[in-house]
Amino acid sequence: MNTDAIVKGIRGGDIPSVSRAISIVEDRSQISVSSEIMKKIYDRTGNIHIIGVTGPPGVGKSSMIGKLASEIALRGRKTSIIAVDASSPFTGGTLLGNRVRMQESINRNSIYMRSLASRGFKGGLSSAALSTIRILDAAGFDSVIVETVGSGQADIDIMKIAHTIIVLHAPGLGDILQSIKAGIMEIGDIFVVNKIDREGAFLAIKDIEDSLSMLPGGPWKRKVIGVNSLSGENIDALLDEIERHRSLGKENRGDGEAMQEMSIYIEDELRRIILERSAPKGDLNREMKRMMAKGIDPFNGALKLVTSLVGSEI
Amino acid sequence: MAVGKSQSLFKEKPIKILLAKPGIDGHDRGMFVLAKAFRDAGMDVLYAGLLPTPEEVIDTAVSEDVDVIALSLLNGAHLTVFKKISDLLKKRKIDDIALVGGGTIPDSDKPKLEKMGISGNYGPGTPLSTIIDHVTKRASEARLRKLGGR
Ligand code: B12
Ligand SMILES: Nc1nc2c(ncn2[C@@H]2O[C@H](COP(=O)(O)OP(=O)(O)O)[C@@H](O)[C@H]2O)c(=O)[nH]1
Ligand SMILES: [Mg+2]
Repeated sequence: MNTDAIVKGIRGGDIPSVSRAISIVEDRSQISVSSEIMKKIYDRTGNIHIIGVTGPPGVGKSSMIGKLASEIALRGRKTSIIAVDASSPFTGGTLLGNRVRMQESINRNSIYMRSLASRGFKGGLSSAALSTIRILDAAGFDSVIVETVGSGQADIDIMKIAHTIIVLHAPGLGDILQSIKAGIMEIGDIFVVNKIDREGAFLAIKDIEDSLSMLPGGPWKRKVIGVNSLSGENIDALLDEIERHRSLGKENRGDGEAMQEMSIYIEDELRRIILERSAPKGDLNREMKRMMAKGIDPFNGALKLVTSLVGSEI
Repeated sequence: MAVGKSQSLFKEKPIKILLAKPGIDGHDRGMFVLAKAFRDAGMDVLYAGLLPTPEEVIDTAVSEDVDVIALSLLNGAHLTVFKKISDLLKKRKIDDIALVGGGTIPDSDKPKLEKMGISGNYGPGTPLSTIIDHVTKRASEARLRKLGGR
């Protein structure tokens, strides 16, 4: 495939070209085309502001992102959205349900939004999400908001490259202490309590503020903002805070950031190779069962399997 | 299309399908049945939400770069509404997204829909496996065009 036309389209911000390019980087069987596209857009990347959004299911991430993107559009900026939906571990199929929650905002403000499937055990999401962000970057989007599924390697990877991380809570969705234990508090730059129309919202805000005061603080003072993602109440205050955080960060991608990205691609590729090489022998699960049947302990079972897969001592 | 061939087409990237009810039609049970069936067949499934306009359906299909749009109406307006979508696709010169229809569609309307490029047009009682096979066939054609061009 000649990639000149599609690359020209991306550089010109042409939506069909951007969409097609994302499909290509999602499709591992087109890796040589992906490689050309990523090479040709590289000089145009490094400017997009990456906003990561995380929090438990049902907390209102998709709804909040819709309203936030609208507010950004209202301020005259070109923004985009990527949302990850969890694939079924049984069939590999995926209900891409995040989109419906933000469809109204997307339609009204012509915001570019793309759904990605997590693909579960098969992996590959980290690479696909990363490449998608860079395509949007090259297409001239000023920012991209990324909604993650809230767990898994790809989530961690996405949060590693996000410039501003928003952690969502909502009243009635369990103990704030749980998220402190899970390490979610540490990664957040801005905390949002959604559904302030609900009872207990004020207490939740107070709870998080107290928890934050116990964590070691840096130069950035982390705030808790209450919003209503159905009415849009206080979303403007949230955007103000995001812009404040952005203005403190560095504008352009440094070597450190590029190396971070490269290491994510490397890990994704390595996982892929292991899975692929184990495929002819059945799948990894079956091999593991075989090890266990032999009474081999997990540590040595893993060593044996990886050694047989990469074909040399490790 | 041989089964082996279509399987390798979708090995790395499953069929992506958009379900849409582009009209005043509150019969949404069929949508959920189909969404679940497509997901269980390994597809990536999108739903266009309530009352999308034909423009919104196409915009979503393009942004998400789906292989197939599944149009469903039980309110009897399929001839006019499905036609709008088909015309809009042609106007935008999109030939690599397939249109599949269904709902309460009288047999006499089916040839007219076929002429617009809308195939299937399955009604109540159609086995899900028939629908999935048909969608897979149309998706394969669309995916081959995507791989071939632009
Ligand atoms: C249940 C039902 C309702 C429920 C809907 C509940 C809900 N949330 O879905 C209620 C009671 C609300 C309702 C209301 C009305 N209904 Co009603 N309803 C039915 C009924 C009995 C069954 C529909 C159903 O859910 N079937 C089960 C699902 C799983 O099947 P399905 O939707 O047909 O989908 C399957 C296939 O058709 C196919 N399919 C569907 N779409 C697509 C798309 C693609 C791409 C493909 C490949 C396949 C496909 O695959 C699906 C899965 O197997 C039908 C009669 C019938 N037997 O079809 C009338 C029927 C559809 N209703 C009818 C009418 C007139 C109405 C009302 C206008 C009645 C009124 N005067 O108030 C209102 C309108 C409501 C509205 N806002 O749109 C008429 C429509 C006549 C027409 N086409 O001209 C029907 C045909 C009854 C009749 N014979 O008169 N209805
Ligand atoms: N009352 C209220 N409900 C909300 C608010 N934001 C989202 N919801 C509802 O919460 C549910 C989950 O929202 P969703 O955005 O899908 O959450 P996600 O799973 O975190 O993406 C939906 O039913 C929303 O309508 C809010 O501010 N107030
Ligand atoms: Mg969501």
